[in-house]
Amino acid sequence: MTAQSDSPSGTAEDPGRRRLLVLGIGGACTAVAGVTLGPAASFLTHPVRVPTTSGSDAFIPAGSLQQLSTDTPTKVDLYADKVDAWNRVEHVKVGSAWVLEREGQLVALSTVCPHLGCAIDYQTEEKRFVCPCHDSFFDLDGKATEGPSPRDMDALEVQVEQDAVAIRYQRFKQGTDAKEPV
Amino acid sequence: MWDWLDERTGLVSIWRGFADHVVPRGPSLKGVLPAILVYLLVQQMVLGLLLATHYAPSATDAWASTAYIQDRVSAGWFIRGLHHHATSAMILVILAYLGQLAITGAFAKPREFVWISTLGLLLVTMVLGVTGNVLPWDDQGYWAIQVELGIMEQTPGGGMLRTVVQGGNDVGNLTLTRMYAIHALVLPALAIAMVAGIVVLGRRAQRAETSGPRPHPGVAFFPSQMLMDMIGIVLVAVALVGVTVSTNGSELFAPADPTSTFQARPEWYFLPLFQLRMYFEGPLEPIATMLIPGLVGGFIVLAPFLAARGGNLGRFGVLGGLGLVAAGAVALTAISIQKDADNESYVESMDKARKDAERARGFAKEGVVPEGGPAVFYNDPDYKVRKLYEEHCQTCHELDGFGGVEAPTFTNYRDRTWMSELIRNPNEDKFFGKTEIDDMDPYDAEALPDDKLEAVVEYLVQLSGSGEEVDATLAEQGKALFIDELDCNGCHEVEPGVDGGGPNMHGHGSAPWVARVIRDSAQPDLYGSDAKMPKFADKLTDDEISDLARFVVARRGVTADPVPPPVEGEKAKGDEPEADAPEGEEPEADGAEGDAADGDDEGAGDGEDDGKADDVDADADAKAEDPPPPPPPADDEAG
Repeated sequence: MTAQSDSPSGTAEDPGRRRLLVLGIGGACTAVAGVTLGPAASFLTHPVRVPTTSGSDAFIPAGSLQQLSTDTPTKVDLYADKVDAWNRVEHVKVGSAWVLEREGQLVALSTVCPHLGCAIDYQTEEKRFVCPCHDSFFDLDGKATEGPSPRDMDALEVQVEQDAVAIRYQRFKQGTDAKEPV
Repeated sequence: MWDWLDERTGLVSIWRGFADHVVPRGPSLKGVLPAILVYLLVQQMVLGLLLATHYAPSATDAWASTAYIQDRVSAGWFIRGLHHHATSAMILVILAYLGQLAITGAFAKPREFVWISTLGLLLVTMVLGVTGNVLPWDDQGYWAIQVELGIMEQTPGGGMLRTVVQGGNDVGNLTLTRMYAIHALVLPALAIAMVAGIVVLGRRAQRAETSGPRPHPGVAFFPSQMLMDMIGIVLVAVALVGVTVSTNGSELFAPADPTSTFQARPEWYFLPLFQLRMYFEGPLEPIATMLIPGLVGGFIVLAPFLAARGGNLGRFGVLGGLGLVAAGAVALTAISIQKDADNESYVESMDKARKDAERARGFAKEGVVPEGGPAVFYNDPDYKVRKLYEEHCQTCHELDGFGGVEAPTFTNYRDRTWMSELIRNPNEDKFFGKTEIDDMDPYDAEALPDDKLEAVVEYLVQLSGSGEEVDATLAEQGKALFIDELDCNGCHEVEPGVDGGGPNMHGHGSAPWVARVIRDSAQPDLYGSDAKMPKFADKLTDDEISDLARFVVARRGVTADPVPPPVEGEKAKGDEPEADAPEGEEPEADGAEGDAADGDDEGAGDGEDDGKADDVDADADAKAEDPPPPPPPADDEAG
């Protein structure tokens, strides 16, 4: 550029005045940007403050006691009403659990792997659970025996009334030693 | 450090070139309009991006996600409102700049393309407005796009064009995805090109002025002129924020409903065309939608070239022409606005639309079912009751032409006509004909002349205690007839709880009474052991039963809960003031959308708070409650 700043007035050359002008410009730019960026920060971080999705935290009917009380795990899909941002969906799959009887007690283990959230499968022959993504293995009690999983499979609350089995479905933080609901 | 960066990127030189550009005649507020356009464009793009993070362009989700932005996400209403109003601001600034260019003659050589770029930006911005208005898929967007596509269809080959633009034979998912793609990807790119044209070509022309053989004196753009620009930008920003806050952002009407009677109006910048079309009917319509806009548009585009011909005469001719166009547009806009303000049907329809919107947005806070759009009204307690009714009652009790006739009809349940007809012949099919209840004899006109029947009915209305307005004198006559002359109370006792063989008439037909019948109609002071209606006491919850009872009595427009029935007819004039208000309200049924009879529908209550960032509140009542509409005073003594 050959634009000679031969400003005749010379005002812009006065360093004090120039500083003031630049400050003014900077302030104005910040203010104008703030009009958008302030609300934007609040807008985008909204999910941190207010849950956007929610399932049912009530007990969900899972099946009959007679059917489920075996020592071979049964995979049970759990259906509940769910809120997903602007939608309210009724009776959709919210997750599933491996249900089996251990020492006379009905146990439900979340199929979500505590490591990175893949779906845990059951190997009938070896009688153990496996997460096929990163090869975490769990025994029938859900105890982590091998692989990267930081903790045992997450047990879910089970409620038995007469012959009806109900499970409270929850999700837990992944990758942590402690089991914390999210 | 700067040299280091400049050597590798050239960024510093680029900034120098930008900052040291010499502005002829020194810094001035007169030169700020292009900078304001740059500001608005950038802000619009950021806001649009933010909205895109929460918006879903599908016919089922568009409205619900927009309502979510508007009423649930913090600052969503502000971001959406700012995005909406900034389009208007942009159009105003463009018009101002066009005016400036024309009046100062600056559109002449070498700035013809600055003029044309500005016109291009005007067009692009208007189309951005059109496509943007569709995206919320509310009644406004839905009906506006219908009209706009209709206009498009009038062009030669328009039929095919319409199919392509709308993505099929009817508006729907593909319309939205197409509009969204155009609005969010294509038009912004064009707008950037146009604004760049205005700025770059404008600077080019300035350079010619300052570096010619007789250069104008000037000063560097930075910082003097840039400060001027920033002052202009701040003023516009302040105005925009003010408008956005004072209007609570942008309106969001009820979800797109092809059965609604929404009176669509275009955005204000289309009102001249909208009004112009009013003067051309039928086959002449394209004159207003195509021919005149085309000719005027052509004239405006060519204005700088025309002005260059024919010296001063040409210049003033063109200016006069442009002034005439501007005056015409302003006049048409004013006429259009005035006409709507004077148009009662329009004002009324907008009132209704706003009420619908409030209800819909209130319901949307509970989450919209996946059917989307108008299915938000499934959240209406009234709609839920109607579903209950269809499931449990309609098989036997006909209502508005639907359902069986095994038991008394509920169409206009127990209004005066209903009662009169029942007394005339209780054994008709629409009353108790198909039931095992047949103890009451018909009263024909001989046994009970019309005027006496009227009196008896009035008395029964009074006895029901449902809060309806009662002619006390007439009721008094009716009481005498009922008790002395006709001896109705031989079977139909009027003292609470007494069993006389037939249904006790105390409170008969009020909501609590109906609730008792629903629970167990075979009680001795109701229909006794002949009643074969299922007992719903165990099948439905108490709330469901009282909702159903209210729903049934609402068939005659009674929405207030009962005042205790006046046992002494004398002093109870029955003029309960609160009873009239709901009665005036439409007692109409057809609640396919669940808009039945409730004057005091609470759905609106939620919407009331204008969707300011009340997240906590919103989420609380998403779960907690939407109690059945009327605030029940002393209800359910029957339970």
